[in-house]
Amino acid sequence: MRRYLDFIGNVGLFALRAARRALVPPFEFQMILRQIEAAGWKSLPLVLSSGFALGLVLAFHTRTTLVQFGAESEMPAVQSLAFFNEIGPLLAGLLMAGRVGAGIGAELANMRATEQIDAIEVLSIDSFKMLVIPRIIACSIALPVLTVIMDVVGLAGGYLAERATSDLSVQLYISRAFHDVSWAAFVPPTLKTAIFGAVIGLISSYLGYTTDEGAEGVGRAATNSVVLSSLAIILIDVVLVKAIFFLFPETAI
Amino acid sequence: MNGAIPPAIAFREVSRSFGGRAVLNNVSFQVAPGEAFCLLGRSGMGKSVTLKLTIGLIQPDAGAICVESDNVVGMDEDGLSKVRSRIGFLFQNAALFDSFSLHDNLAVPLKRLRKQTPDAEIETIVQKNLEDVGLGKEGRKMPAELSGGMRKRAGLARALMLDPSILLVDEPVSGLDRVTASEIDDLLLRVRKRDNTTMLIVTHDTREARRVGDRVGVLDNGNLIAVGGIDELAENPSALVRTLVSEAQ
Repeated sequence: MRRYLDFIGNVGLFALRAARRALVPPFEFQMILRQIEAAGWKSLPLVLSSGFALGLVLAFHTRTTLVQFGAESEMPAVQSLAFFNEIGPLLAGLLMAGRVGAGIGAELANMRATEQIDAIEVLSIDSFKMLVIPRIIACSIALPVLTVIMDVVGLAGGYLAERATSDLSVQLYISRAFHDVSWAAFVPPTLKTAIFGAVIGLISSYLGYTTDEGAEGVGRAATNSVVLSSLAIILIDVVLVKAIFFLFPETAI
Repeated sequence: MNGAIPPAIAFREVSRSFGGRAVLNNVSFQVAPGEAFCLLGRSGMGKSVTLKLTIGLIQPDAGAICVESDNVVGMDEDGLSKVRSRIGFLFQNAALFDSFSLHDNLAVPLKRLRKQTPDAEIETIVQKNLEDVGLGKEGRKMPAELSGGMRKRAGLARALMLDPSILLVDEPVSGLDRVTASEIDDLLLRVRKRDNTTMLIVTHDTREARRVGDRVGVLDNGNLIAVGGIDELAENPSALVRTLVSEAQ
């Protein structure tokens, strides 16, 4: 138990240090862009394929149930609300925790083990600012964008599944999908992924940057980054969903 | 003031422990400007820690460490930055940045620390330093594409980018064959002759210590048990020192 509390405390201090240092120049814009490319652009194939496949699967399942109640015309609305509210943000977050979190943990741990971080410090460069802060910022910028893309391809997958069993036109599918969706049902759940992204960047960077176990620590940092980032975003999601319900009560109905 | 030139590096009764194990115990030594001082010893005897203490990457538990009169113990980041700008560091595995090309690895110190340097001048300096270590045509390669010896040479080229007056060198020939090791030693000798660079070299290769070093210190179990020229140390009462030195002959 004490180990977990230590971990939470240390990540909290690491986050405070990141928040404080992020406000002090120099701002590592080039490194941030590099990391956005690594975290966002390179995650795109994974997000496109997963979102599309999940859109198909969700449509197959929900259609069967909706048909039983004679409500198959609601299928596009169910699909869009499911993706916008929860599936898009959470799945994009978990995919990023798996792909990007592991990458950050392993990369920074490897840099520590091979003295690359020492080499940066020797050059009088703040390694924390150069390596950690850009990764946290990049993850929190890239994840909302990936979430929107996942929502779109999820709806596309849903349409393809629907099209296989009915003659529903694209225009009607889109019209029904967005008919019941308010901005409050789309914007807050999408923006919450910026927090997911920051948490993934923070935990993975903490595990990689602070490791002192040499080569052995690289694998451990990668594994722990995935496990702890995934767990953290699921737990934080519970809190954020309640907060969104509180701030936008209409989304809870 | 007597006008005497201060040592380039001075350790005064420096101690450092890790997890209750004393890695350095009251260690004192000095390196004169332009001198090459080799620290010899078995693995895990605190040699690399000595280098990291010198540049302020680690702080000692006790003692003073002076680099050209500046005590780096307890020094703030701004002070350390100024000291570090006068020191080059060749890491054991070169510590090249994996995600940067060789060219960019060398350009980093200038781009970060001498921001006023025009890009064209940076290009010229990078190319010259690469050519100096025989890697003039390899600038576009990534570190993963280089052999062990090439990585060491590239690490040396990066360490020299800011024209340091002091060079810290960590196990420059470990893991290299004898021929490549000899080439690295030749490079170190050339740099020293050309720039009169002070060198603190950590090694367990006694042949290298004999070839490159003016003086040698032997570290064992956290203590500096002998300091002197290689031939002097051959007469040392310690069997370990004599064994180490005899390997160099």
